This record gives sequence, C-alpha cells and structure tokens, in this order.
Amino acid sequence: MFRPFRDNPTPGLSSLISRRAFTLAGGGLALSGMARPAALFAQAQQRLEVVPGGTQALPIAIPNFVPGSPGDGEVGVGVTQVITNNLKRSGLFAPIDQAAFIEKISNIDVAPQFQNWKTINAQALVTGRMTRQPDGRLQAEFRLWDVAAGQQLAGQKYVTSPESWRRIGHIISDQIYERLTGEKGYFDSRVVFVDESGPKERRIKRLALMDQDGANVRYLTKGADLVLTPRFSPSTQEITYMEFGQGDPRVYLLNIETGQREIVGNFPGMSFSPRFSPDGQRVIMSLQQGGNSNLFVMDLRSKSTTRLTDTPAIDTSPSYSPDGSRICFESDRGGKPQIYVMPATGGPAQRISFTKDEGDGGSYSTPVWSPRGDYIAFTKQGGGQFSIGIMKPDGSGERILTSGFHNEGPTFAPNGRVLMFFRDPGGNGGPSLFTVDISGRNEQRVPTPGFASDPAWSPLLS
Amino acid sequence: MKVDKTLVASVALHVLVIGWGLVSFSSKAFESTEIESIPVEFVTDDQLNKITAGMKSGKKENPKPLVEKVAEAKPVDDAVGKVTEKKAIVTDAAPDPAPKPVEKPPEKKPDPPKPVAESKPKDEPKPIEKKPDPPKVDPIAEALKKEEAKKPTPKPEAKAAPPPPVKKREYKFDRETIAALVDKRDPTRQAFAGDTLNSTPALGTAKGSAATLSASYLSALVSRIHDCWQADGGGFDEQDVKIPITLTFKQDGTLSAPPLLESEPRNDRERAIFEGARRAIIACQPYTMLPPARYADWKSLPFLFHNKVD
Repeated sequence: MFRPFRDNPTPGLSSLISRRAFTLAGGGLALSGMARPAALFAQAQQRLEVVPGGTQALPIAIPNFVPGSPGDGEVGVGVTQVITNNLKRSGLFAPIDQAAFIEKISNIDVAPQFQNWKTINAQALVTGRMTRQPDGRLQAEFRLWDVAAGQQLAGQKYVTSPESWRRIGHIISDQIYERLTGEKGYFDSRVVFVDESGPKERRIKRLALMDQDGANVRYLTKGADLVLTPRFSPSTQEITYMEFGQGDPRVYLLNIETGQREIVGNFPGMSFSPRFSPDGQRVIMSLQQGGNSNLFVMDLRSKSTTRLTDTPAIDTSPSYSPDGSRICFESDRGGKPQIYVMPATGGPAQRISFTKDEGDGGSYSTPVWSPRGDYIAFTKQGGGQFSIGIMKPDGSGERILTSGFHNEGPTFAPNGRVLMFFRDPGGNGGPSLFTVDISGRNEQRVPTPGFASDPAWSPLLS
Repeated sequence: MKVDKTLVASVALHVLVIGWGLVSFSSKAFESTEIESIPVEFVTDDQLNKITAGMKSGKKENPKPLVEKVAEAKPVDDAVGKVTEKKAIVTDAAPDPAPKPVEKPPEKKPDPPKPVAESKPKDEPKPIEKKPDPPKVDPIAEALKKEEAKKPTPKPEAKAAPPPPVKKREYKFDRETIAALVDKRDPTRQAFAGDTLNSTPALGTAKGSAATLSASYLSALVSRIHDCWQADGGGFDEQDVKIPITLTFKQDGTLSAPPLLESEPRNDRERAIFEGARRAIIACQPYTMLPPARYADWKSLPFLFHNKVD
C-alpha cells in the first residue's frame, strides 16, 4: 500500500520552485486495476440508480506539517494554515479542527492509522513535512490520503527558497483541490487591485498586488495620480491600467517585476478600459471621440491600431473570449448600457442582455469572459441595486450571484469557478473585495490593508 | 509581348496533371454500417410492483387466494385463457414418453426387418378406431395422418432384402398442410387449486410476491447509499455524469471487495466523482437491510451513480 518516494524531477514549474513527484501508491494503480469491464454482468441485471443526497463540503484533516529539523516547526505550521485557509474559503472543503485529532502525525513515511481519522469523520487526510536543506532552501513534501479507502491519492515534493513558503502552501492547495474535485485549482495566483486610503473627499488610490488570499500585499504606484481598471496580462508579468495624469487619462503597461511602464498608443482623446488579448500580444480598449467612444485594438509589437466599432454611442469594457475569436463589450447603442458580443475582428454585434422591465433603469455593464469560455460575468443595475451575475455567451442562463447597494467589477479566477468583485456599502466607508463562486452559495470577504476596488485576477503562476 | 516559355510549360503541365487526376481518381462515398438499435425500457420499482400485483378487480380486504378447484396446488404460469377440465390432447405426432426399443432407428439393430414389420400395423390404425368422436378429432393429428398415409407401405419382400439406407424426407412447402397444422384451439389454463373453493380473486399481498420483496430491500439499499453520498459541489453546472459501479457483498451486508468502477474514467472529474461515491459506500457499510436468506440475489449488484443533486 505505502511506497517510498521516487525522485522524478517534473518540469513545468518556474525556476523558483522545483517539484518532484513520488509514487502514487494508491489512486492510479488501484484504479486501473479495478477497471475491469463487467459488461456481461451489467447487461444481465437492471442497474440500481443512485443520486447524491445533497451537497456537502468534504471533511478533511490537515495536521501541522512535520518539521524535518527542530527549526522548521514554524514554517510547517504556516504552510498548514495557508492550505487550511485556502480549502476552507473555496467552500468545497470543511477542514476539521486540529483539537479533534486522535492521532499525531510524526512521520509521513508511515501510513496513518486510518481508523483514527475515520473516527473523527475525516474523508481525506493531508500529511506533510517541511525540511530546511543544507543549502538553505526549503523542501516541502505532502501526501493526500483517502481515509475510507485507505489509499494515497497524491504525493509531491517541492524545493524553494525560504521566502516562498506561502506559495508552496498555495501549490499544495491546488494539488489537493484538483485531486479531490477533478477541477483545476486557482490558489497559486495573484490579484491586482486599487488600494484606497484617506478620507473620502481626498482618497488616495494606488495599484497594489497581492496573493489571491489577501497576503503579500505590494504597492505598484505611489498614489500621486488616480488609477483605475487594472488588468493582468496572460503572461502575469505585465498589467495594463488607466491613469489620470496631467493630461487626458491614458492606458499604461506596467511590468510588475521590473517596475517599467509605458503608454499604450498616443491618441488625441481619452483612452480607457484596456484589456489584454488571450495571447498577450494585443490590448483592446476604448477611445473617446467627442461624446462617443469606440473600441480599438492595438498590436503591442507593431503598435498598429485597428478600429473595431464605429457607432454614435459609448462602446466600452471589452473582454476577449478565451480563444480570442470574439469580444463581449458594453454599449448604450440601444438606449441603455447592455452587453453585446461580436467577432474579435469587428463586425455585426449581437445584444445578449435584456432587462425584463426597461422602466426600472435596468442596465448591464463591465462584462468579462470566463477563462473557461462558458460564462460572461457582469454588473447589473436595476431596482436601486447593483448585482453581480453570470450568463452564457448567448445570453441565456442568467444567474444573479449577489446583490446590494453597490457591487461592481467582477473578475474570474483562473479556473472560471470563482469571481472576485468589490462592494461599497455607501456612507463614509469604502469598498472591499469579495469572492463568490458561480453557484452563488459561497461568498467570502478578501482581507486587504485598506479599502479596495477594481480587482483583476491573474492566471495561475505555475 | 514576350511570353515566358517555362511559365507556359508549367501551366500546361499542371492542367494535364489535374485533368488526368480528375479522370483517373474515382471517388466512392464512404458507407457506414448501420448498427441496429436495441430498444430498452427501464422499469422503476413502482412499475415493477404494479406489474407483479394481483388482479386489479380483486377486493383489497380479501386475504384468500382464488381457488376454483379443490386439488393439489400447482404452479400457474399463465393466467390468460379459459379454465378447462379437458385433458391435453395427445396427438399421434407427439413424442412417446417411453420409447420402446422397437421404435429405435433400424441402423442400431443389426436385424431390423422383423420389428419394423410388426410395429407398423399396430401404430397406425389405433387412433382412428379409438377416437371416432368428431369433436375429439385433432386437426394436427389428422394432417400428420394424411402425411403418413401418403407413405408407401413396406412390401413383404423387403424382409429378405437388406435394409435400404435411411433417406431424409424432402419436405415441400404446402400452404394447405401448414394451415391444417396450425393449432386453432382456444388458449386454456389449469384451474387455481387450493384446500377450499373461493370464487373471489385476491389483489395480492406484499408477502405474496417475491419480486416486490426484492424491490423493497433494494430500494432501502439505494436509499441508504443516497443518504450517505454527498456531492462535492465541484463541477458547477456540469451535465449529469453517470458512473457505473458494481458492489459485491458478504452475507453480513459488508463489502466483500472495493467498489468496482466498470470503465476507465474519461477525465479527472469522473475519477473524483467515483472516489467520492466510493468513500460514501465504504463508510456506510454494513447494509443490514439486505436479507441473508436471499444472499444469492444481492451478492453482486450493478449501480449507476448520477452526480446530479435532486
């Protein structure tokens, strides 16, 4: 059942972290062994059909990672907390309180006593070890166990610099999430947002970067100028945003590693609402022309600009479909702001949002296409409320996820299953960031140092 | 104007090659073999109970079974048709329950002439003499008899001669003969037998139907697994994923082997759903609703797990 580590370097991670796979003693082998066809038997009898009794977060036990040496206890506890927090916030897992544990994990190379974990109703168990190596780097190992089946489902080993220990926690969280749900994870990612501080009438707005769980906040601008609508590049090294400088507001590119920035294009009027194409080679944005604005796309290499719309209306907030073939955007060409979809090269646009009662002031704005391509998220205004919702790209299946005084600016997690947005309760307070899954069941506040708005989620870092 | 000769030659060559290709290559449409579809009907537990219930016209409160004749109880397969007291008509063509050695093929006996000559006159005239009554005439027997009558009667000289090799009879299709062979009798059934006569048909009881009992404990089993199995909440808005799993049990209701996934999962999501179902199945054992007396019936059961919450 239990097998020792096998050191197989696995490519694909950044140079910062090297990952080594070890044998999956349980899952893979056992599953292939069990997959013997029983067609004859199946045909002979009618199958008994079963559906789940409900939906429940999976109870999971995550004991503190074992220290490889006496000095590694603190980082072991830290990584365990990062994993526990990530899984709990996803809404799909229910980490069990460590006080309930019967067994103390002291050696992860020995199979745990599953009965001890069954007793506390754990369905999955994570064991791990953090060891500081002679060269100063940190080695993290973990195993994921299926308690009921008594099998190991996953096992990995990572080596990184000590300051990246939180990222190790996020990567292990993704591994657990993916193995137990079969869906891609989203924990090893970052968020750029507008940090707001100071009194309401003299609010200082700075671009800030943080881990998706709110940790490791880093400021990218000093707050001298107003910044809005930051958007991540698919490469994750650059962001594009709008800044109100001395002249007209302009769209900028900023390399978050080097701090270098440049203006995107040199247009006579205001440029705003930028967003990268999926390949990161182009930026689509709005350009103001008189009282109207139209959509333009600029090739970042050749700097050539192409007009995509030409209407006497305000066309803005463009967002590419993940395959880059289509664009969704907001336009008031029909009277009120609504969402339209058109080919990425321009052409006829199809309206996909419709309010039931036009008299209630209903309108749709800030559309953003899911990385999975299955939904378009939006802000809906109507009935005195701002709501965050999703709909399919053909306009069907609209679902409101949250409503309130002011909710705005949805952005998708890399797996397309969670949205982040900002909520302003009004009054003297300020906006905060929240996440909600696309079922609308699990809403969580994202901790930030101050007020925060305009979040944009990065792709996965690894 | 100067024309490039190589260009002209190239164009001419291309035209030739394309023209040759158009003439030479014949296209044939791909033919796909049609696979005959098999109609399948799913019968739910409720439907099964209805099918196996008693007569609809019966009184609910009557616990007595229908008895039309005081006799030794016999299993009744078909309740359709009139009840008859007549004995089943035994035709000439019907096989003899106790075949005599004389009726064996002549090849088996080294000295066949004698028995063959003796058996013939005995078998043929008897039915005609014994059953002169017209209502009892069996059309099948009559038709067979006619066929027999057409046969050439063996001559006495055949005794001396060596037995001729047995030839297969060549049957010719004759519509009239076939029509005569068709059994035109009304369907009949045996009477319900019991200790005392009872003319009121019963509705049937749960205890009186094995199939209903089966459905009952299987429903309890499905219900138990349903209660134990919780969807993980992942795979938002996914289609109904169906996972075929076979469970094998010990007589005490525990699993005798891990839940068997019958086909390789097509993706990580299917694998995760299977493993979630497996956890629930293992955690919920033993399944005490399974009656040990009927162990052979539930020793191994095929399931289909749908990852769709009600």
